[in-house]
Amino acid sequence: MNSFHPLLNRRRFLADTGMGLGAIALTSLLSRQGMLGASVSGREPLRPTIDPGRPYAPRVPHFAARAKNVLVIFCSGACSQLDTFDYKPELIRRHGQPMPGSDKLITFQGEQGALTRSPWEFRPRGQTGKMISELVPHLGALADDLCFIHSMQGKTNTHGPGENFMSTGNTLDGFPCVGAWVTYALGSEDQSLPAYVAIPDHRGKPQNSVNNWAPGFLPAAFQGTDFNATKPIRNLARPGGVSPDSDVATRGFLQRLNERHAERFPGDTALAARIASYELAARMQLTIPEIADLSSEPEHILRMYGADESGSKLKDTRAAYARNCILARRLVERGVRFVQLFNGAYQTGGEGVSNWDGHKDIFNQYSLHGPVLDKPTAGLLLDLKQRGLLDETLVVWCTEFGRMPTFQKGSQGRDHNPNGFTCWMAGAGVKKGFSYGATDEFGHKSIENVVTVYDLHATILHLLGLDHERLTYYHNGLERRLTDVHGNVVEGVLA
Amino acid sequence: MVPRDGYGLIRALLASATLVLLHGARAAELPAAASRTIEFAREVQPIFQKHCFECHGPTKQKGGLRLDERASAMLGGDTHAPDILPGHSAGSPLIRMVAGLVPDLKMPAKGDPLTAEQIGVLRAWIDQGAVWPDDGVARPDPIRSHWSFQPVIRPEVPAQGHPIDSMVGAVQREKGVTPSVEADRVTLIRRLFLVMLGVPPTPDDVAGFIADTTPGAFERLVDRVLADSRYGERWGRHWLDVVRFAESNGFETNRERPNAWRYRDYVIASFNDDKPYDAFVREQIAGDGLGVDVATGFLVGGPLDIVKSPDPVLTAQQRADELDDMVGTTGTAFLGLTLGCARCHTHKFDPILHREYYAMAALFAGVQHGERALPMPPEQKEKVAGLDARITALEQKLTKFIPKPVTNVVAGARRPAVNARKNEESFPPAEARFVRFTILASSGGEPCIDELEVWSADRNVALASAGTKPTASGTLPGYEIHKLEHLNDGRPGNNRSWIADGTGRSWAQLEFAKPERIDRIVWGRDRDGQFGDRVATSYRIEAALEPDQWRTLSTSDDREPFAGGAPKPAGPIYSFDGLPESEAKQGRAWLAELEAVRQERKSASQTPMVYAGNFGKPAATVRFHRGDPMQPREAVAPGTLAVFQPLALSTNTPDQERRVRLADWIASPANPLTARVLANRVWQHHFGVGLVDTPNDFGKNGSLPTHPALLDWLAAELVTPTQSPGASIKAWSIKHLHRVILTSATWRQSGVPRAPMMRVDAASRLLWRFPPRRLEAEGIRDGILAVSGNLNVAPGGPSFHLHDVDRENVYHYHPKEEFGPAEARRMVYAYKVRMEQDGIFGAFDCPDGSLVMPRRSLSTTPLQALNLFNSRFLLQQSEIFAARARKEGGAEIAGQVRRIWLLTFGREPEPGETSEAVTFAQAQGLPALCRAVLNSNEFLFIP
Repeated sequence: MNSFHPLLNRRRFLADTGMGLGAIALTSLLSRQGMLGASVSGREPLRPTIDPGRPYAPRVPHFAARAKNVLVIFCSGACSQLDTFDYKPELIRRHGQPMPGSDKLITFQGEQGALTRSPWEFRPRGQTGKMISELVPHLGALADDLCFIHSMQGKTNTHGPGENFMSTGNTLDGFPCVGAWVTYALGSEDQSLPAYVAIPDHRGKPQNSVNNWAPGFLPAAFQGTDFNATKPIRNLARPGGVSPDSDVATRGFLQRLNERHAERFPGDTALAARIASYELAARMQLTIPEIADLSSEPEHILRMYGADESGSKLKDTRAAYARNCILARRLVERGVRFVQLFNGAYQTGGEGVSNWDGHKDIFNQYSLHGPVLDKPTAGLLLDLKQRGLLDETLVVWCTEFGRMPTFQKGSQGRDHNPNGFTCWMAGAGVKKGFSYGATDEFGHKSIENVVTVYDLHATILHLLGLDHERLTYYHNGLERRLTDVHGNVVEGVLA
Repeated sequence: MVPRDGYGLIRALLASATLVLLHGARAAELPAAASRTIEFAREVQPIFQKHCFECHGPTKQKGGLRLDERASAMLGGDTHAPDILPGHSAGSPLIRMVAGLVPDLKMPAKGDPLTAEQIGVLRAWIDQGAVWPDDGVARPDPIRSHWSFQPVIRPEVPAQGHPIDSMVGAVQREKGVTPSVEADRVTLIRRLFLVMLGVPPTPDDVAGFIADTTPGAFERLVDRVLADSRYGERWGRHWLDVVRFAESNGFETNRERPNAWRYRDYVIASFNDDKPYDAFVREQIAGDGLGVDVATGFLVGGPLDIVKSPDPVLTAQQRADELDDMVGTTGTAFLGLTLGCARCHTHKFDPILHREYYAMAALFAGVQHGERALPMPPEQKEKVAGLDARITALEQKLTKFIPKPVTNVVAGARRPAVNARKNEESFPPAEARFVRFTILASSGGEPCIDELEVWSADRNVALASAGTKPTASGTLPGYEIHKLEHLNDGRPGNNRSWIADGTGRSWAQLEFAKPERIDRIVWGRDRDGQFGDRVATSYRIEAALEPDQWRTLSTSDDREPFAGGAPKPAGPIYSFDGLPESEAKQGRAWLAELEAVRQERKSASQTPMVYAGNFGKPAATVRFHRGDPMQPREAVAPGTLAVFQPLALSTNTPDQERRVRLADWIASPANPLTARVLANRVWQHHFGVGLVDTPNDFGKNGSLPTHPALLDWLAAELVTPTQSPGASIKAWSIKHLHRVILTSATWRQSGVPRAPMMRVDAASRLLWRFPPRRLEAEGIRDGILAVSGNLNVAPGGPSFHLHDVDRENVYHYHPKEEFGPAEARRMVYAYKVRMEQDGIFGAFDCPDGSLVMPRRSLSTTPLQALNLFNSRFLLQQSEIFAARARKEGGAEIAGQVRRIWLLTFGREPEPGETSEAVTFAQAQGLPALCRAVLNSNEFLFIP
C-alpha cells in the first residue's frame, strides 16, 4: 500500500543506497570551529543530534529523568493568585485600607485604589488543610496532590511580553517555546502523532497567539501543532473530492517519483527525509482523528470532567474546555512529549471577557472563569492519576503574571502584577501537598524563596533529565538556551 | 608596558571621556593619591593579592575581571571596562569601586575595605601610568588578532583559470577531495533560475539554452537572468530576512503597518538596479538625508510594543527594546557582529564594551517608530506653493466679509461655534510683538492647536521661518508629533501639532522677531478634519508690544457654544448679508474660487506615507547597568566600536548627522567587516551555506571561514572589481559578484553525490559537488503558481493578504483557505504578518520577522507534507495545471505528461516514466498526476 510500484521495496531501496538516514549527516569535515565549548554558561553545550528523517525519534536525556512528558495548563490573561490559591489573612483584615506605599505606585493601567479582599472565601482543604478559595472547589479538593509555588516573579506587566516570557523564556517575540526546546531535546515516544501539541481554548487563541507554541529559531520540526476538540489540524483530512483509493494511489505515485529521483542522488539524506515525512504524515492522518474523537469516552468520564453538561453559557463553555482536557489526557496517554492546554482566549469580537484579565469587574468575570477552569482541570488531574499517568507526567499550571491586592482606582478589578503570583505543579518528580515560597502579607510581591520564570523553566527541564545550562541551539551569534543566562533548579519542590 | 596603543588606548580614551565628565568633579571624595613613585610589584600587587584575588584571580573571575595578569586586568571586567585608566585614577572604575563610590559594587565585596592609604597607593600607581611589568602572560589584543577585524587584502591568485576555482581547488587538494564534472544543461538552467530568480525556467527557456551551442551560451544566459526583474524579487527576500522586515507590529495587538511595503519595494528595486552596496547601506541608515526616504524603513522594520502604560518602568523598557532592535539589527546585518550581547555587559567574546553598546544606541536616539509622509518632489512643491499663494490672496480679499467680534455679548449676534478644523479671528490692526493664546477649556483632553497663524496683511508673521519663537505653559511629553515647534512650523494637521501638558488652563505664546501690525489670527485643532477632541472651546487671544502689557484681541465669549460632534468643514463663515448686491456678488465669487482652490490644493499636496520612522532631537543616552533601564548610569556620547577607526561624536550632534556618520563608517571600503559580510551572504544564497556558516557573527564566537582567502578575494572584488571582461564595472556591484560566482566551474559542477566524497564531507563544505537543497517557502509557492501558469507577475505595490484580518484593538489573523487571482502573486508581495504564518507555506521554516533570520532552517516535517499534499491551494493549482497540460500537450495523455515534465522538471520524461505516468493518469486523472508531481522532490529541490 505504501508503494505504487509492486517491485520496489522501500526498505531495500534505503539499504541499497548504502546508508541509513542520519548516518552520513554527521560526517562533516569542517565542524564549526570555535563554537563548541563556548556557550553562555561557560559549560560545554549538549546539542541533540537530529536525524533529518526522524526528527521525532526519542532521544536520551542528559541524566535520568523524573518525568517522561509534560502537560502545561496555561491560564491566559493573568489569573489572580489572590482569588484562587494565595491566601492572605492580612488582606482580609485590612480590606478597604490603602496599601502602604501604594500612593506613588503606578501599575500597568495606573493608580491604585484600596486593598481589596477576594470576594470568595478561603477554606482549609485536604489533609494538609491548605487554604484555597471557594472559586475553585474541585481543585481545592486535590490540594494534597498539588505542589504550589507562591513566589513566582515575572519581568514585565504586559500580556504579550508576559506570555512570551512564560512560554519562551524571553519577553520579546521570536524565541522558541518550552515545548519546542523539549521536543528538540527529547523527540517523542509516539511516531504517529506530533511530538508537541498545543490545545488552544475553543474560544480562540491566547493573548500572544501562536507565539506561545512557535519554534522561534529552532527548526520548524519542533513547532507545536495546534488543534483542539472542536478544530482539527488544518490540511489533515483527505481533500474533499478525492476518493480514498485515489489518495492512496497518488501517494504511491509520488513515492515512486521520489525514489526514482533519489536513485540519481545516492545518499542524499534531505531527499530521504522528505520521503519519510510523507509516511509520518500518512500515519498522523489516521491517528489524529482517532485521538480527537471523544465518542469512545464513557459517560462517567465525561461527567467527571463536566463535559456532559450544556444549556447555559457557563455549562457550554465549561463543557468545551472539558473536551479539550479529555483530549489532553488522550495525548498524554499516547506518549506525546509536550502538551500545552490553554484556558482563556483573546477571541474575536469579545475582547477581554473570555480570559483572566480582570481589570474592571473581577467578580462577574471570574464567576464564569473559575467554574470553567475548576471542574474540568480537576477531572483531568484525577483521570491522569487513576490511570497512573501522573507518575510519569509533570503537570504545570501557570499564567503570565499575577494581579494586584488592590483594586484599580475607580474600578472593580485588579491590575497586572508581575512581582508575585502563583503557579502549581503536580505529578512526576514533584512534592505533593506542598507549598513553596511566599508573597508579602498582602500577596503583592514575592519575598520568600523567590522563583523566577527562568527557575521554573530550569526545573521543568531538570525533571525531564535536561541540564538547562547545556541544552543549546546556535542562533545569530549565540549558543542560545531556554533560560538565557539565568535560572536555578528549584530543589525545594522536587520529590 | 601598559598597552598604550591600538585597542587599549582607544578604549581608554573613549572611556575616560565619559567617566571623567561624570565623576571627575567628585575626585575630592577619594583619598588623596600617594605622593611617592609606586612600584607595582612591591606595593600594588600585594594589595590585589590580599583583597582581590579570591574573586578576581586565577580561579574565579567575578564580573569577568581578573587582576592577576596584566593583559586581563587592563582589558577590564564585564560592565565597567576598562577598569584601570592609566593616568586617570579618579575616573578609573577600579578606584571608584574600592572607594565605595559605586553603590552596587563596593569592593572588596568580602572582607575589610581598603584603607585610605592603600587607595592612595593604587591611585598614585594609576596616575603614574599604571606601569605593570610584563608578566609574560599573553592575552592577544582581539582587534589585532581576530581574522575578521584585519583589513581585507586581496590574495594573489594564479593568472590562469577562474580565481574561485583555483582557490576552492587549492583547499580541495589539501584535503584530498576532487571537484565534480560540469552539470548537464537542464540542471544548469534550472539551478540558475531557481537560485537567481526563484522560479523554474519555462520549456522555451530550456530549449533555447540547449539549442545554443555557440561558445559563451551560459554567460549570455547569466546576463539575461541578471537583467530579469524577478531577480530582485528573489534576492530582495533574502535581505528582508536579514533585516527582520514585517508589516505588523507584533506583540499582543499586532496591528498592521499598511505603508511598510514601500520599503520592500525599495529593496527589490535596489537589487534590480544593482545599486552599489555602499549606497544601499547609507540609504537604509540615513536615506532621509540622501533623498531616499523610503530606505529608512530599515531602522524601524522591527517589532514594536504599542501597549502603552502609565507605568514608567514599562515605558523605559519598551524604548530600550526599540533601540536594542535598531542597534542589534545594524550590527548583525552590516557588520556581522552581535552588538546586542553587550547590552547587559561587555561582550563575552568580542571586543565590544558595555559602554560601546550605548554609544551605538545613542546613534539611533533620535529615531522613533512610525509613518512619515514622503517629501514632495520639486514640481509638486512648486505647484502647491502656487496654490497657497492664490489661497492667501483670496482669503485676504475676503477678510472684509468676516463678521467682527462683538464686544457686547448680550446685545450682539453670536459668532459661530468654534470649529475643530479652522477658525479665523479678525480684528482692527494692532501693533504687537507678542501674541498669547490662552485656553480655558477644551472639548476633551489636553488642548491641541495644529497651527497658530498671525497675519499682517498677506504675511503669516507667526512662522518659525520668519524668526518667531513659540513658548507654552507646557507640552505633552513623549510625542514627536505634538511638540511645541509644530505650533508655527507652517504645517497644519494633527501629525504636526502642539498639545498642552494638562487639561486645565494652558497657554501658548508667540514672540515675533520685530513688532508687527497684525489684523487676523487663524488657528485650528486639525485642519485635516480627523479629530474633534482637544479643541480649545473656551479661549482668549491677547497681544502685547511690551512683555506683560496684554490687550485682548478676541475671545470665545461671543461664540455659539461648542456642540462637539464631527469636525465641520473648514473656514470661517463669511457673511454677505446686508451688503450692496455688487459687493456681495463679488464676495461670493471669491469664496467659490477659494473653495475650489482649496480643494485643488488638498489633492495636489498629498504625498504617500511610508513606515520609515520619524526623526527628532535625540534624547540623552546613558548606560544602563546590567541592561536595566531602572539602573541608569553615566551619560554616553554617540560613537562606534573600536574594532575599526572608531567614530566619537559629541552629545549634541543632531540626529541625522549621527546616522550619516554611522553610515559612512559602515560603508567605508576600509571597514574590514562590511564587504566580507556581504560577500559571504551572496555566497550563502548560491551554495546554501556561506564560507562563514554563521553569517551574522563574524566575531570570535562565530565560525572561521572555510576558505579565508576566497572570502577576502570576493570582498576585495566587490569593492574594487577587476574581473570585468571589457565593460567597466562599478564598485560595490552585487551583480558583478554574482557574475563572477556563476561563471566559476565550482558553481557549474554537478550536484550528484559521490560516495567517497560523502564519507569525507557530506555537507560539501569543500564544494566537491554543488549542494542541492530544498527550496524555501517562497520558492515552492511561486514555483507551483509558475508551472500551473497561474502566477500573477504584477510587481510591487501594496501587499496581498494570505490572512483574513479582524481589525479590533487586538488584530486577529486567520489564514485563508481559498485563493483567487489576487493571491497568485509572488510570495514576497504577501502581507508579512508577525507571529501568524501562512496556513500552508509558513510551516516551511518561514521566518515571521520577529527576529533577524540570517540563515533559514530547512527542516522537513509531516505538517509540510500535509499542507502540500492536502491543501485546497495545492488541489486547486493541480486542477489548473492539468487544464494547462491538456491545452498545451495535445490530445494524447502521453503528450500531456510530457508537457507536465517539461514545465516542472525542465526535462523530457524517460520512457519508463511516461508509461507509468500515463497508466496512473488514466486511472486517477491528470489533476492527481499534477498533485503528485507538485509534491515531488525533483520539483522542490534546487538541483
